[in-house]
Amino acid sequence: MASPAEQLPPGWASEWEPTNQRLLFIETATGHTQWEHPAETAGALQQPALESPPVASAPGIHHSKRRQYAAGQTQAYYGGADETSMMQQPMSQPPPQAGMEPQLFTPGLAATSAPNQFAMQQGQAQPQYFDPSQGQQQPDYLNGQQPSYGQPNPNALADQFGQMGLGGPKPFSLQTANLLTSPPDPRELSLPPPEIRLPPNATVTPSQFANADPSYQRCTLNAFPNSSSLLSKSKVPLALIIAPYRTVSENEPPVPLVTDTVIARCRRCRTYINPFVQFIDGGNRWRCCMCNLSNEVPQMFDWDQTRNQPGDRWSRAELSHGTVEYVAPTEYMVRPPQPAVYVFLIDVSHAAVQSGMVATATRTILENLDRIPDEDERTKIAIICFDVSLYFFSLSPGQTDPTMLVVSDVDDVFLPKPTDLLLNLAEARTGGGLESLLTRINDMFKENSIIGSAMGPALQAGYKLMVPIGGKIIALSASLPSLGVGALKNREDPKILGTAKESGLLQAASTFYKTFAIECSRAQVTVDMFLFSSAYQDVASMSCLPHYTSGQTYYYPAFNAARAEDALKFAHEFGEVLAMPIMLEAIMRVRASRGLRMSSFHGNFFVRSTDLLAMPTVSTNQGYAIEIQIEETMNVPFVVLQTAILHTTCYGERRIRVVTTAYPVTSNLSEVFASADQVALAVLLANKAVERSLSHKLEDARDAVFNKLVEILQTYKSSMTAAGAGASAQLAVGENLKMLPVLILGLLKNVGIRQSAQIPPDIRAYSQALLTSLPAQLLIPYIYPSFYSLHNMPPEAGTVGPEGVIMPPPLPLTSERLERHGLFLIEDGQNIFLWVGRDAVPQLVMDVFNLPSYDVLRGGKTTLPTLDNPFSQRVNAIIQKTREMRRGVYYPHLYIVKEDGEPPLRLWALSALVQDRADVLPSYQQFISSLKEKVNGNGGY
Amino acid sequence: MGGTIWLFLFAVIMAAALLFCMVFFIIMFSDLESDYINPIDLCNKLNQFVLPENIAHGFLTILFLISAQWIAFLLNAPLLLFNANRIRNKNHMYDATEIFRTLPAHKKESFIKLAFYLLSFFYYLYRMIVALIADNE
Ligand SMILES: [Zn+2]
Repeated sequence: MASPAEQLPPGWASEWEPTNQRLLFIETATGHTQWEHPAETAGALQQPALESPPVASAPGIHHSKRRQYAAGQTQAYYGGADETSMMQQPMSQPPPQAGMEPQLFTPGLAATSAPNQFAMQQGQAQPQYFDPSQGQQQPDYLNGQQPSYGQPNPNALADQFGQMGLGGPKPFSLQTANLLTSPPDPRELSLPPPEIRLPPNATVTPSQFANADPSYQRCTLNAFPNSSSLLSKSKVPLALIIAPYRTVSENEPPVPLVTDTVIARCRRCRTYINPFVQFIDGGNRWRCCMCNLSNEVPQMFDWDQTRNQPGDRWSRAELSHGTVEYVAPTEYMVRPPQPAVYVFLIDVSHAAVQSGMVATATRTILENLDRIPDEDERTKIAIICFDVSLYFFSLSPGQTDPTMLVVSDVDDVFLPKPTDLLLNLAEARTGGGLESLLTRINDMFKENSIIGSAMGPALQAGYKLMVPIGGKIIALSASLPSLGVGALKNREDPKILGTAKESGLLQAASTFYKTFAIECSRAQVTVDMFLFSSAYQDVASMSCLPHYTSGQTYYYPAFNAARAEDALKFAHEFGEVLAMPIMLEAIMRVRASRGLRMSSFHGNFFVRSTDLLAMPTVSTNQGYAIEIQIEETMNVPFVVLQTAILHTTCYGERRIRVVTTAYPVTSNLSEVFASADQVALAVLLANKAVERSLSHKLEDARDAVFNKLVEILQTYKSSMTAAGAGASAQLAVGENLKMLPVLILGLLKNVGIRQSAQIPPDIRAYSQALLTSLPAQLLIPYIYPSFYSLHNMPPEAGTVGPEGVIMPPPLPLTSERLERHGLFLIEDGQNIFLWVGRDAVPQLVMDVFNLPSYDVLRGGKTTLPTLDNPFSQRVNAIIQKTREMRRGVYYPHLYIVKEDGEPPLRLWALSALVQDRADVLPSYQQFISSLKEKVNGNGGY
Repeated sequence: MGGTIWLFLFAVIMAAALLFCMVFFIIMFSDLESDYINPIDLCNKLNQFVLPENIAHGFLTILFLISAQWIAFLLNAPLLLFNANRIRNKNHMYDATEIFRTLPAHKKESFIKLAFYLLSFFYYLYRMIVALIADNE
């Protein structure tokens, strides 16, 4: 259902009718014309037939209801009804052409049916909360799919039409919940964000994909305040949360590609044409939705270049999809497309070789050579090893045996040879030279007893090698850089942990890591860091490089390849990084309607000008947060935000990904509250908290986040509830923000922010790197983990359903849910804990672990055996699904945690249960009551 | 006594130079805001002037101290301490990776310094004239 033209039955054509501003449908054989879409008229005729099946189960009826609603509305949209009358009284009565039962046609009913249903569910008594029979009703999202994206099921369709605003300008009904009496329900986190209710006719095509899916771009507010005073009154921060290059799984629709290089853009503001523009002047011109300038439609816009005949404008993906990718013509290139370059810097000092990192890394590269993107055989590769010297490997064409060149002067790095160090991947493989090099590196340095690391010089050498081209440096290091430029000192000091000085440890210790990052960004070089040390490694300084060059930091503390789990995790993640499609020389810009300005940017990139973000290569599944300022009062019905990323593929094609979303503008504070997106808010606050902890103190960062929450709740109470400014026995918040307090609590208890004097600075710095780079889908479980009970999961959980493996219902994160005889799974996207109660029956232990009893079971990192019994298979299926469910390269470790096992592991697992009290950190109940005090003004706030 | 005249003549010239320096900073910041310059070039350019500016101001202040011009010295001392503290904490240089986040603060600081140098320019001028008159009498 991408555009009306795609739905045309054979023998029909459509034509834009400028006088009426709508499509005219022509039956080509007879010349008969009509305003109604032929498929819709046919559909309307078929409706009775659709409804006739006698087995009218409850959901079935529901579907047909929505179906009719959607069809009828589409018809109205296309002129089945008089448009003006539709506009004037869209809500009060059914559209005139209803050939169906009127009670099925109340648009208001359909538009609100989703929230109502939800409210009903909520209203039900608690025991039903985790009723196993509800497992199947969980949103698809839990099973790794995007809600209503791609499956043209009637339900989704109706929802989407509701989103399109065909339900009319019905205001959001703000439903207030009392936080004191409604405990958090983790299932709400997987619900789609509050609906975006655009005014009718906001889009040129009635596509359900006009607004980009929230997994690509979402906003903290789904209805924009019309002025900055209204925004500041609401206290809710306004920001865009984007993950433009999230990966697309097999059962999701791919992002549509526009291949004909006809790119219509606004002359003034350079906005790309999108579903929210307006065609004027007989369809010859289009009015920009951001700056209102009228632009000419490009000549080739209506020409089908593949078939060389007039094409149908309405079938163009950019008019019906909020997320599209263009193949750009050569004007979009600054220089000819460069090949992809990978430079591996491998630490071969004593510690690195002993941990088995070198062996695992070289083997992984070797095994993944085929997966490194190299469609046109231009990809280049270089390997540099380093300890206190640099070891280069040269391979001239035809040579099968690589030569090693040692550079021990690390103060002034030079390349020992002008050529043959940067190898063409395909050529280097033909003679087997590269393979033989990779197999031999570990043996070459097996006996290496040198301690020390010339990491900085190695980075400079890699940079020199690739500077004319750009590409990716992948640095693998197991020790603190100790030599040459960028050398660091061990500044870990247990005495200052937990004090105000701690944030100093989270900043870069040497300016090299910032200045070099800038040089890299300029030369289009990305740095990915893989860190392995068991001792202090200064992750905070090293992670600066990936941060400003749009790379990523991966940290494997105390890596030891002798443990199969460690080797497996690293090999898996490293392999995924190698196989990641490489997108070079990228720049990202967000454009917005007049009156809006992007004010600050959070994420892994370098801000090159006021609104231009430079990314030497784009990492998939990275998330960015961009704060928005309202600069002038907006008198428009809706605003549009468009993110565009220009990049070059590894096979030399310039591509532009354009993600467009539109949001209604409101002057009503209650609509602002009702449209707030708690997930987006949590992502933004996580980014801001990390930033603040670097510029101020960790304590300030926590206070800032907490105070923001208090402010929001205070404003909510004073303006949305009867209590006003006085004290209230309730703690009121909108239904849509009910999970925000627990998400904030999870954030405050996250390793990156948490109040503690025990967290090593490296672990904290890594956690902060994750908090600022993970997309929402990974970040939310990272601050609010998933928690499942396995021993008593519903019978269908763990089996394969229509949407893949069915997951058990998630539980709230409190140890009250732990049972002494139970088996539980806790997962935060980075680690999986399998909690075994001390009274677990031997049969359970036998079925899952193949061990006779609980006493012989050992805690720690493990790989779960797959046994020949249904329960084991279901548990394995759930763990497998958990690993797949999160996008990104991460392969979480699996830990078995025994209820009476080693305290550190047990405490670590329990720290994931964020609703519990943990020494100084409050429980959810305590948190809520301190919130209530602050909100009522008793806390001296 | 001619020393005071020469001192304040020198101070007037220094204040004018510092004034121009701040005007240059402010122009550069607004260039950055309107995308005429990228943050890397901006920081490279401005960082060349940060230390000279601080040293020039420090030198002038010390000069007032040793020539026992207490009022002039006390006027300048806070800024001297502020600059010294910055240098001690190693955050006196402009950081290209953070410049957009810190830009409003930098601009505010430059404007305050601009106003300060302007006022001190006129103060030194006044003192120089007073000294000249006193010398003529
Ligand atoms: Zn425009």
